[in-house]
Amino acid sequence: LVFLLLGPGAGQDVGRSCILVSIAGKNVMLDCGMHMGYNDDRRFPDFSYITQNGRLTDFLDCVIISHFHLDHCGALPYFSEMVGYDGPIYMTHPTKAICPILLEDYRKITVDKKGETNFFTSQMIKDCMKKVVAVHLHQTVQVDEELEIKAYYAGHVLGAAMFQIKVGCESVVYTGDYNMTPDRHLGAAWIDKCRPDLLISESTYATTIRDSKRCRERDFLKKVHETVERGGKVLIPVFALGRAQELCILLETFWERMNLKAPIYFSTGLTEKANHYYKLFITWTNQKIRKTFVQRNMFEFKHIKAFDRAFADNPGPMVVFATPGMLHAGQSLQIFRKWAGNEKNMVIMPGYCVQGTVGHKILSGQRKLEMEGRQILEVKMQVEYMSFSAHADAKGIMQLIRQAEPRNVLLVHGEAKKMEFLKQKIEQEFHVSCYMPANGETTTIFTNPSIPVDISLGLLKRETAIGLLPDVKKPKLMHGTLIMKDNSFRLVSPEQALKELGLAEHQLRFTCRVHIQDPRKEHETVLRVYNHLKGVLKDYSVQHLPDGSITVESILIQATAHSEDQGTKVLLVSWTYQDEELGSYLTSLLKKGLPQSTS
Amino acid sequence: MAMSFQKPWFLARARRRFAMTRECALLLPRVCAALADPRQPGSDDTCLEKLLDWFQELTLFDSTVQLVQDNPCLTEFITSVLALPEPSPSILSFTLRLAGILAASENRFQHLQQEKLLARLFGRDGPPNSAVWEDASVRSGWVQGVHNMMHHQPALHLLCSGGGIDVIFTLQGDPSLFVASAASQLLVHMLTLSVESETTKPLSTKDCDWPACAQMIIKRIEDSLQSSSASHIEQSLKLLTSLFGSCRATWTEVLWLGVAKQIESFLTEETVQVQHMLANLLLNMAWSPVFRDTEGSFWALVTSALEHLTPVQAGPLAVGILRLYKCPQDVRIQALTVLLQPMDCILRAASQPLEYAGLLDESVSDPVTVESLLSSRSSCANLLCQTLAHLEQLLSLSRLPVDLPYTSLLRSLMTILQFCNGFLSPASPLGSTISRILINCFRVQRSALDVLAALSERKGSDTLIGSLFDLLLAYLESPNTSPTVLKKTFQATSKWLVRLQELSCSNSQGQQTEKILEDVFLVLQKRLCSPCWEVRDSSLEFLTVLIKCLRDQDEFRQSLLSSEVPRLTENLLEDPESYVRASAVTAVGHLAFITYFAPESPVVGNQYNKENTVAKLQEILSTDPEGFPRRAVISIFIKWLRQGCTGQLEDTEQFVSRVIQTVEHDLDWEVRLGGLELIEVFCSQTICQLGLPQCPYAPVSSAVTSSIHWNESLQVFCRAKLFSFLFRSLCDCDKPVGQRACDVLLGLKSNFYPVSTLEGSQGTGDSAVGHGIAWLQRTLRQGSLAQNFPTDGSNGVDFQDPENMMLALGAVELEELHDELNRSSDHVEKSPQSLLQDILATVGTIEENEADCY
Repeated sequence: LVFLLLGPGAGQDVGRSCILVSIAGKNVMLDCGMHMGYNDDRRFPDFSYITQNGRLTDFLDCVIISHFHLDHCGALPYFSEMVGYDGPIYMTHPTKAICPILLEDYRKITVDKKGETNFFTSQMIKDCMKKVVAVHLHQTVQVDEELEIKAYYAGHVLGAAMFQIKVGCESVVYTGDYNMTPDRHLGAAWIDKCRPDLLISESTYATTIRDSKRCRERDFLKKVHETVERGGKVLIPVFALGRAQELCILLETFWERMNLKAPIYFSTGLTEKANHYYKLFITWTNQKIRKTFVQRNMFEFKHIKAFDRAFADNPGPMVVFATPGMLHAGQSLQIFRKWAGNEKNMVIMPGYCVQGTVGHKILSGQRKLEMEGRQILEVKMQVEYMSFSAHADAKGIMQLIRQAEPRNVLLVHGEAKKMEFLKQKIEQEFHVSCYMPANGETTTIFTNPSIPVDISLGLLKRETAIGLLPDVKKPKLMHGTLIMKDNSFRLVSPEQALKELGLAEHQLRFTCRVHIQDPRKEHETVLRVYNHLKGVLKDYSVQHLPDGSITVESILIQATAHSEDQGTKVLLVSWTYQDEELGSYLTSLLKKGLPQSTS
Repeated sequence: MAMSFQKPWFLARARRRFAMTRECALLLPRVCAALADPRQPGSDDTCLEKLLDWFQELTLFDSTVQLVQDNPCLTEFITSVLALPEPSPSILSFTLRLAGILAASENRFQHLQQEKLLARLFGRDGPPNSAVWEDASVRSGWVQGVHNMMHHQPALHLLCSGGGIDVIFTLQGDPSLFVASAASQLLVHMLTLSVESETTKPLSTKDCDWPACAQMIIKRIEDSLQSSSASHIEQSLKLLTSLFGSCRATWTEVLWLGVAKQIESFLTEETVQVQHMLANLLLNMAWSPVFRDTEGSFWALVTSALEHLTPVQAGPLAVGILRLYKCPQDVRIQALTVLLQPMDCILRAASQPLEYAGLLDESVSDPVTVESLLSSRSSCANLLCQTLAHLEQLLSLSRLPVDLPYTSLLRSLMTILQFCNGFLSPASPLGSTISRILINCFRVQRSALDVLAALSERKGSDTLIGSLFDLLLAYLESPNTSPTVLKKTFQATSKWLVRLQELSCSNSQGQQTEKILEDVFLVLQKRLCSPCWEVRDSSLEFLTVLIKCLRDQDEFRQSLLSSEVPRLTENLLEDPESYVRASAVTAVGHLAFITYFAPESPVVGNQYNKENTVAKLQEILSTDPEGFPRRAVISIFIKWLRQGCTGQLEDTEQFVSRVIQTVEHDLDWEVRLGGLELIEVFCSQTICQLGLPQCPYAPVSSAVTSSIHWNESLQVFCRAKLFSFLFRSLCDCDKPVGQRACDVLLGLKSNFYPVSTLEGSQGTGDSAVGHGIAWLQRTLRQGSLAQNFPTDGSNGVDFQDPENMMLALGAVELEELHDELNRSSDHVEKSPQSLLQDILATVGTIEENEADCY
């Protein structure tokens, strides 16, 4: 089993997840993420490291995408349409539906902001999605005759899945991002006790026990409420899908409960589609949402309405969700510029921002921003950061390991120092090896595959004829010839093998010379050896043949005088492989010399 | 006389962009201090990377010591990191790379060496001897640092005398692929630098006097090639491969002659398995004139490799050789044999005794190995896919240096495809084995269909066209065909239909063509109703491609229009999947070219109603909740307008006006952009139709007539309400829209104000109109800021008044705006100053758990 990480940078970096696993001769790429912090080649993984020889389509057996976040799927259209991978891609149904929306959203922002041309196009996103095979949870998908995959629920975001990859009796589980505690709209991750050879787990929050999400949500609502009460405006920059829906539910219920009147807007025109998908994939959400769905669809919002550009100038309080989430272009940046000067207003950043974006600047406390045309924008509005991301914390990771019972664990997506602590904990508690390779590093893990072998009836009958009935508790030795042909293994009797393969039998004998100090004549030495062996090997048939040699089962012993020293006799011992143990026992016995008493 | 020379403009611009400004120089010491402070949490990796990018650019055009002298904080930073007992891996890695960048010029190298900084960083007792070396990022930083610095002899000597070469050779086997690969690249670079900068007389095989550093490297290469360790041999082969790939100097031959015998032995050696590395090595050599142009021994080695390597290993070498124009004929034949062998075996396996000529002369082929690979489940698909990919690669070349037997190749491809869908189960044992292995093998199907499509452009494979279409139709019909295979089948079918049309024009194969077309549309009807959106979409795309290529052919038009395809296509305008709706829009838009817009349209009656279709597309444009279909509509409208299908000028004016009023409020900026393109086409057509603006150098007398034309066009544009959209777009929050609008307005300005008239027309006077224009000017100046463009008309600008607009065009400083808009919108955030500020701002503020997903 070989594992190669092409993915995230070290440290607190939202990198590119891209992992290559070679398992029993099959090569699978897990996730194909992009790095938003760069706008050159560095934003995509360097796929040239996957194989030096040959095409990627021939080398890879399949690609699996765990969920729709761009750090897990953002490089996919580049990989399939620009690098030229033409093979199958697997993801769950919701991921297949939502992934192109996010890719399209990101493409538009990228092309819009930088006027880039060397980026994938809408057509490429579509062509890429056409290559995707969607899978259901717990459905075993046969990629080819040997390779099979199976998806498990991962929580985290709608449609997120952990994947089990299996070839023969070897298997790997890749978690992607997951969450072990249910949240407002999603359930907790769950997996079989599938005992994989390797569990690849994310470890973003490797050493933290996170404060309760409820607290963060309360905090969020309080801040929004206070701002609106004092007549201020709240801007929440988001990406089209995911976090946005979660916060919408949160605000909607709060508005309903508190009977608030301030308008809430969603700016992208994507809400409808997003909500459509949340409705469509209702089975992927948590129990509470599913239950209430019968009475009222939680994604049909009463208070949240579509935003028009002119609304930004309206007086009075309001809450606006606008894209993109890092305030680096488009609608959200435009609204931010309008509202930034008023201390009554507030911007809440619910996600990570990369360096260079306005979002990053205001989060790091910068209040005077240079804008285009040497204009300085003074930020007087309040700035808040709130992370709602749903990753498993240390407790959750341990819980998953307990569930799956892997033989090895490999941690990715985390900071080395923090991972080290978790690694030790895992090794102590579960007594399994835990790895944490750096980016670009390969890790080789040896498995003990048990390979099924068919045994011929003839051979079995022969064994039972000897009188030994099969017994589960007593493994027994069986002699036969192993035929490996067309990926199947069969154990047959040597005679049958010879017949099947049309070969003649050759006898192979092992030989060994033992020197014995004995001045007597050769036939006398032989006699002494014969008597000695007869005395020691009482259960065996020891024979003295007329030609002067001795046999014990298949073992043959002959004696000659040493050509230079007549006082030394050379015993030539030879045996076949069937009597290997006896043969070596005999030679070691003879090497000790002959007992005096028999002389 | 003092000599002066001008640097190219782009160098000057680059220097300006990345120059060390006063602001940056003030920020830099604080940034350095923060980075070197171990109490500070590590900075974001991307910040450090971008900081290095900036230094790389700062030093690229400047080899003086000014940078390090003016900014002593840089040297101090390196010194203080070196003094840290336990530097963080990321900061140490950054320091190594930074030091390398600074030391890239000899002057700065000497400056840094005054305090022995470089010796301490890259020498024997540097990081390789410390505990942090365990961290891959430190090893990677060290290799990159050395590489950055390696541009002059002092750097070479520092490394060679400090034991650095040993470290780099060890790093070639690093567990991190990034480090291993960088180490190998570094050795190639050092070897080249050493030979090219330190050699005093030309090197020859007899008197091989390598410079010291090169000598050390070459000795290590030779030793490892002779070792028994496969990994060492592999590393050296990799190194030689990239050396011969990147360096085409004659000395490479001298180096080669020293190792040739050893490498040749690897071809037949069974104890060391490095054969798979040889194909790439030989291929890179074959591309180098140093080896390619030699007689004899090199090509003999290539021939021997083609013979000894397994078919899978030899494949890439063979196809590489076949792409060469200059290559001995016998080697080319050998390469062709390797490439075609699997295809030949397929043909032979399918028919016994052989009914057709095979691909290869039996005397040259030795099919045993290939046959055994093809009859094994694990290798059959791999070998075929590789061969097919190579064939596609060759066929995609516009000029092939070698003739391929196209007919047999086509027959072989068809056989493969028949094996794959179970249409052929031959009697021969090999054939039946292969057919069992290939049945339902999507990988092979996809590759074979790609080659099939590429083959359509080669002459000489026409005799099989009938049976080829039987096969393609079978694939199109079969429910077992997967969506991706179906897409490829569509691609191949469309290419071969074009070929078929060409043939039927030259021969009298009309009937056959008609039958085939009928069958294709029958199948297409079914596919357009597939429950799978991918299939519906690919079917629509196929239809569009066919119309584009074949719309002038009568047979095609008749078959299409007598089928149900047009009706089904229109139905798909209401598909639940937006991708499909968009493709349906495109297909319907193209269909219009043969229904309503064709002068000799074969349509009778009201079956195809132009107004209905236009209204339907208009409706999609104004109501579809998703961008793709709306974008498709605007593209189709542009296409129609370009091809003059929208009727007389008056109709067109109304049409454009309607469309613009729909798209100007669209949320998708690409739709708004499409609207601007539509305006651009409309304006240039109108100006053309009403008379071109006069040449500014024309005699004065014509000015009167031309001004009438201008007025007329201007009135048309005002009536169509183009200007309010154009001017408002200048302030669009999505930059490409602003750029496009500015381009269009500039175009109009140049039409209405030829150079000669421009100067006199600038004055806007003190009238109400003048005030309005002044307001417009002001708004636009602030406009690159995100102010929404007020439209309530209270500002005194009437966008529908020709006089107003004529003045606006003259007065607004569009050129300046154009430059402003053309700067990338993140140029401020991307500037070095912004980066330095960001690093400083994050100091001490990073909280736990900021790591997050997007």
